[in-house]
Amino acid sequence: MKQSAKHNLLLDRNHNTASHTTMKTFPLFVLFVTFVCFTAPTRPAFGQNGSDDHFKVKLDFNRWHDYDELKTDLLTLEKAWPDFLKYESLGTSYGGRDVMLMTINNPATGPEMSKAAMYIEANVHGNEIQGAEVSLYTSWYLMENYGKIDMITRLVDERVFYLLPSVNPDGRDWFMDGSGSGARTGHVPVDDDNDGLFDEDPPNDLNNNGVVDQIRKYVPGEGTHRISHDDPRIMERVPAGEKGDYILLGLEGIDDDGDGRINEDGPGGYDPNRNWAADWQPNYVQRGSMDYPFQLPTARAVNDFLMSHPNIAGVQSYHNSGGMLLRGPGAEWQGKYSREDIAVYDELGRNGERMLPYYRYIVIWSGLYTVHGGFIDWTNDGLGIVSFSNELWAGGQYYNSPDLIDQQTDSESPISGQKGRFFFDDFLEFGDQYVEWTEYEHPVYGTVEMGGWKKTRGRIPPRFMNEELSHRNMAFTLYNADQMPKIGIGETQVEKISGDVYRVRVDISNDRLIPTITGRAAANNVVRPDLLTATGPNMEIISAGRVTNKFKPGATELIDQNDLSRIMFRSGQPGNETRTIEYLLRGSGEVTFSYDSVKGGTAETTVTLR
Amino acid sequence: MKTTVEFSDRCRSVAGSAAVSVAKITLFAAISLLPFRVNAQSSGYSNYEELTAKLRMFADHHDDIARLVSSGKTLEGRDIWVMEIGTTSGVPQAERPALMVSANLEGNQLIGSEIALGLIHYLVDGYEEDEQIQLSLEKYVFYIFPRMNPDGAEKNFRAIQTGSETNSRPFDDDNDGRIDEDGPDDLDGNGIITVMRVLDPFGEYMIDPDDDRLMIKADAAKGETGAYSIYWEGLDDDNDGFYNEDPRGGVNLNRNFQHEYPYYKAGAGPHMVSENESRSIMDYVIAHRNIAMMLTFGAHDNLVNALNKKGELSQARPINLFDFADASLSGAREVGIFRAPQTRFFSRTPSQPETSDRPSGRRPATTVNESDQEYFKVVSEKYGEITGIETPPSTQKPAGAFFEYGYYQFGVPSFTTPGWGFSEKDVSEKTDSTGQDTTEKADSTGQDTTEKADSTGQDTTEKAAGKGKETENETVDQELVAYLDAQGIDGFVNWTAFDHPTLDNVEIGGFKPLEAVNPPAGSIEELIEKQGEFLLYLSSLFAEIKIARIDVTDHGGGIFRIKAEIENVGFLPTALAHGVTSRSVKPTMVQLGIDPENLVSGDAKTSFFQSLDGSGSRRKFEWIVKGKTGEKVELRVVSQKGGSDTAEVTLR
Repeated sequence: MKQSAKHNLLLDRNHNTASHTTMKTFPLFVLFVTFVCFTAPTRPAFGQNGSDDHFKVKLDFNRWHDYDELKTDLLTLEKAWPDFLKYESLGTSYGGRDVMLMTINNPATGPEMSKAAMYIEANVHGNEIQGAEVSLYTSWYLMENYGKIDMITRLVDERVFYLLPSVNPDGRDWFMDGSGSGARTGHVPVDDDNDGLFDEDPPNDLNNNGVVDQIRKYVPGEGTHRISHDDPRIMERVPAGEKGDYILLGLEGIDDDGDGRINEDGPGGYDPNRNWAADWQPNYVQRGSMDYPFQLPTARAVNDFLMSHPNIAGVQSYHNSGGMLLRGPGAEWQGKYSREDIAVYDELGRNGERMLPYYRYIVIWSGLYTVHGGFIDWTNDGLGIVSFSNELWAGGQYYNSPDLIDQQTDSESPISGQKGRFFFDDFLEFGDQYVEWTEYEHPVYGTVEMGGWKKTRGRIPPRFMNEELSHRNMAFTLYNADQMPKIGIGETQVEKISGDVYRVRVDISNDRLIPTITGRAAANNVVRPDLLTATGPNMEIISAGRVTNKFKPGATELIDQNDLSRIMFRSGQPGNETRTIEYLLRGSGEVTFSYDSVKGGTAETTVTLR
Repeated sequence: MKTTVEFSDRCRSVAGSAAVSVAKITLFAAISLLPFRVNAQSSGYSNYEELTAKLRMFADHHDDIARLVSSGKTLEGRDIWVMEIGTTSGVPQAERPALMVSANLEGNQLIGSEIALGLIHYLVDGYEEDEQIQLSLEKYVFYIFPRMNPDGAEKNFRAIQTGSETNSRPFDDDNDGRIDEDGPDDLDGNGIITVMRVLDPFGEYMIDPDDDRLMIKADAAKGETGAYSIYWEGLDDDNDGFYNEDPRGGVNLNRNFQHEYPYYKAGAGPHMVSENESRSIMDYVIAHRNIAMMLTFGAHDNLVNALNKKGELSQARPINLFDFADASLSGAREVGIFRAPQTRFFSRTPSQPETSDRPSGRRPATTVNESDQEYFKVVSEKYGEITGIETPPSTQKPAGAFFEYGYYQFGVPSFTTPGWGFSEKDVSEKTDSTGQDTTEKADSTGQDTTEKADSTGQDTTEKAAGKGKETENETVDQELVAYLDAQGIDGFVNWTAFDHPTLDNVEIGGFKPLEAVNPPAGSIEELIEKQGEFLLYLSSLFAEIKIARIDVTDHGGGIFRIKAEIENVGFLPTALAHGVTSRSVKPTMVQLGIDPENLVSGDAKTSFFQSLDGSGSRRKFEWIVKGKTGEKVELRVVSQKGGSDTAEVTLR
């Protein structure tokens, strides 16, 4: 029943399945593919309808989704492509929401664990919301275009995708549905002000306009700020020695707990991206790290998942903002990556810069700031996974032609400095992002004014620009996914040396950029070594070695391992490289060589000694 | 199970007996009659079942003051017990300063468990008669974890003794894709895993010229040639060329905590706090912020040997023979590293500059804060005075150790010791020449602690070296054999040739793994007596916050001035200097129970101070408030580690 459903789907998609994989570990699949090839009708895939193809599922990518909407959309996608998509919850947040996971896997090309997987998460900081839309877009795009675009078809067939659109769903909803303030944190209660009470005095939306505004008070001649001559909406700090007419009194709120202070203990109060186990540091060294790694239920659920899925070979964690393709290390003292690892990251990062205008490829500690216990340091150092974190959206994208960039530096221009923000809001968002200052009678401060930018301005792109953001970032992540290791066995040679002694050469290849085991992973021993096994009913191994160059005569580097029927490659198979392994065997009949890599898949070949 | 029942019955009769004397000495005698006879037929140490039965019995018989709680479960389903001891009336336990006692993080450190059990017994029985204990249990609370690694400990009660330190988590120690596949084997059938010394021209070790039972590392600079390799007793079960590199279980809990965590090193686990046990312990600790002091029995020491002047621990003293055997395993994690040919890598410079002018940020402290050192020193002196221990048995370098977390991250005074050790007389009874000398020394130790303590505090290395010269015990191994010989303990297996299937010229022998780190069962009672005294001493040190004075002055027109003085009548400060630095100890809160709008001037309604020294140090507070004559105002002071106090004044 299930088999035939799968079959129909493939027929409908009408893609060329023969180009998939011929891994011998899935003989059933090979038979199945053969069957499809012979029976599929030959219809041109696309471009024949006169208009663009219709989508099977219509979703919005020009707006922001709260937790319930995201979950609904994911379930809609799962229902549309039930063979490929699987929705599940990895665990429950403190606030009782799912840690949502969408798995994309084509079961016809093998079980999840047999293929390298790309892990994509977003929104670990509650206010950094747009990564969820990128993730949703990625699931949708891959499914809509499977069978239509060859490269997408191949990617989905070769790889597994794990998408977690919001690993901080409590923070997300606090941002989306609540007032939006202090949403970076998760919502495990923390006693920020040491009074024994937890989260008892958050900011409050006093005027019920759905926004936690800034508070300013008019204090003629005694203030620190004044209204700009350029635009009355701009508050600017007065130069030293002068007095302004306004003071700023922080965020909208009252003294909820009657302790004489305002907004001193809001929800949570930690950084969910500092609770990971590589270079984790206590609170006084790294603020917001909590008491120990994986103390937070969401971090723990994610880590349990990662540790039980060693097939994950690529990580992307979407954040905002600033337009960056970040890699580790997060702190200088973690030490530089090996030359091999840096070469891999550089290649990916440089191409990423070409795919993402206004994004820069940088190292966290040297280019951004020092981070201890960050997520991608853990996945790189502790789990041996090539990991990036894209900081989605760059301010440069508001005005992005050379001429406009130039204009911004001219103080007379209406788009220079703070004026530029208002210009963009006035002309492109029609004033949607700004709240005018309005008077309010505050119980402690007296008559004040409240207003300012809305929560969605600044770190989040204008809605109409989000689809491009989603697509470009997805493209980079898919490129990363495509470059995950993929093991193959190339040509084999059998040569009789004397009597029943044979020399057998086997080519092991990885035709992608990323090695099966990174330098860090090998140094930390966190990925199981690749294993090359040789088995045969009548065979004894005399020696095994690595051929330096199979096209030239020269020494063979003998492998100094006790058990040559199971050779360990602790440093894995490098990217874009073929290695020739040479065995001296005594015996006869068939010998099967099998290469098994946790992150690069498996490959197998059989030779006959004769 | 049978012995347990018998034990409970006997205990009940003694506990109910009027014959128990008030005097402490007699109390100890009563204790000594009790649990430790029970297992005398076996090892004298309690396995999980026996330990659990004893804990249940204590809790059942003293349910007014003792509560047995499971803080979590191990992988094999055992409970990680904690006994919470304190009176239930009066100040809620969660608001009292607490002393946390931990034992047996390393599975082979069984002595700690027995001491912890003894301390529980000491407190619950003593409560009935001993005034000091009564006072302690009323003002404070004790959280005692007698066995933090019950799965690991249980491994050491099996027919074959391995001395394993780890828990039961299956772990691929050599990362070869096979889990727990090559553990030690009892080749000589004596029920004990010792080591193999194997004649080997590539070997790095030689027989100790001073004692042919011992091995030392050959020093080429002295013209010495290594002739032996040393391995743990066993076979190469997985045919990888290494012997016993992946035994059952895998994580040493005392290497699994957050301070100076040994990332990706042997026994450290996949990451900090990765284990059921360590996670349960951490969750317990952070839910009990009233823990104001920690005492851990295990493989480290900061009590016998005090910190040096830089605030560092004294040098670890591992057993060489075990270290040598461990060293034979290190290569197992390197098999299969294939260096990529250098030509593969383009010479172009990586595009990312990995230099920056940005401040690289704060570094975690790794030495005890200068202002806190005195407290450690005082306690260490007292420990020496009470126990008479001059040298700890073997100790390890702490990395990821729980007690280090206690100070460096939890911010409280945190002490650790194996719980036993040697004094001069222990190791020299057999040596006639020094006999006279040491007796005198022992006396002077008891009498004049200041002198001894000074030298201890100043330079422990020197002291150890000096003593080494005197007794000619230069290595831990030499000291240990001397101790075993002097005490007549059967703790060393003499080298015996063995016909090994894959190695030639093999002899098996060496220290018995459990005897090397645990004293004989017969000495437990005496240890408990001293540790009990030390425990009570520790509980006398807590900070204790009091409102020493509160006055009201009427300024007329409904305006009043309230003045208060807060005093720490305890010994320790309300927060150690590092407790403040690490922000792990909350500041003490002083809160006046008045509406914010009625506060006219002076201190804030809610004020905080970081720390207040002990021994009667005071701080002043002053508020000017609006109110009605006769109105009552409450002042509340809450210190996380020093208790709390309230006072009420009437405005007039």
